Amino acid sequence: MKPGLFKISPGFEEVMPAEYRELVEHGPYGAGMGVADLGAFKELLEEHPLCAGCGLALSLRLFLASLPAPQDTVIVGSTGCSSLAFPQVALQNIHSLFGNQNALASGLKRALSLRFPDKVKDVVVIAGDGATADIGLDMVMHSWFRQENITTVMLDNEAYANTGGQESGMSPQGTVLYMAPKGKKFPKIPLPEIAREAGCAYVGACSPAQGKRLERMLRRAILVAREIGPTYVQIFAPCPTNYKFKPNETLTRLKLLEKEGVFQPKEYITREAQDLLNKLEGGGKP
Amino acid sequence: MYVSVRLAEEKCNGCRMCVFTCPDPNVFNFYKDKKKISVNASRCKGCGLCVVACPKEALSVSAG
Repeated sequence: MKPGLFKISPGFEEVMPAEYRELVEHGPYGAGMGVADLGAFKELLEEHPLCAGCGLALSLRLFLASLPAPQDTVIVGSTGCSSLAFPQVALQNIHSLFGNQNALASGLKRALSLRFPDKVKDVVVIAGDGATADIGLDMVMHSWFRQENITTVMLDNEAYANTGGQESGMSPQGTVLYMAPKGKKFPKIPLPEIAREAGCAYVGACSPAQGKRLERMLRRAILVAREIGPTYVQIFAPCPTNYKFKPNETLTRLKLLEKEGVFQPKEYITREAQDLLNKLEGGGKP
Repeated sequence: MYVSVRLAEEKCNGCRMCVFTCPDPNVFNFYKDKKKISVNASRCKGCGLCVVACPKEALSVSAG
């Protein structure tokens, strides 16, 4: 997508929706905007149907702001809460079958590198915990084993949230939800560690409470995926609707969980990826 | 009745904590020259995350 691709035909300025006009006039395509510039440009997300106080919506917003090249990024989504917001994203995106997202992204990345051999096209998978850790785990892991150059981002809200609150593989042990009245029997899947062992060059786990850290991890993951191999970022975004807390407590709860050590930010970087990041980020440990 | 965020503009110091905590896009606009934010109440869902985050208590969620 070229920066000037979005434009309004002369004479139609007044009848176009306000959101479209804003996107043409103040959009971030090709402008090098980041999380630090939020509020000064039109974001790539528009009014979405996710619940008030949703940590996942905030993560998605920060994710879209931290893409290094939004005009050359294709995002692949899967069924889940995040896919409810996808029709409102001003970015090329594909909605795949439930759990099929990494298989689709592998083919897409190969096709794009054949079609545009002289351009860098980022393929980013962004799916929920159900699609990544439960239903699509075989596709996700095989894309890592095959060393596909794609970034996998998991929005971990610890439940199947939009089907009434069933437990997912990422729910903590003992979780009681609307559709899991007996409590979950086994602990949370350690997917960052699985990703590291499965051959991911860069693995990160973060939360939307610290936007700058989320941006740094996502940018690193996308830059490493361009050159070296698969990368994985896990974003912990609690669900106020199913975990039954007030919508304004999402971030305070997140900070508390991090302070107590229940949620731990993680970063696993292979030596090869670290060398690349040192080169790109100007040497030294940033 | 529509519950949404209200801004007391004189209390705002332009720290932008609200911008980084709001789950809904484009609710807050930041003006660099004035060092103030503005609120687009029609895009707000009234969750109150910005009210908790604001260090100057310039934001509140109310109806009408």
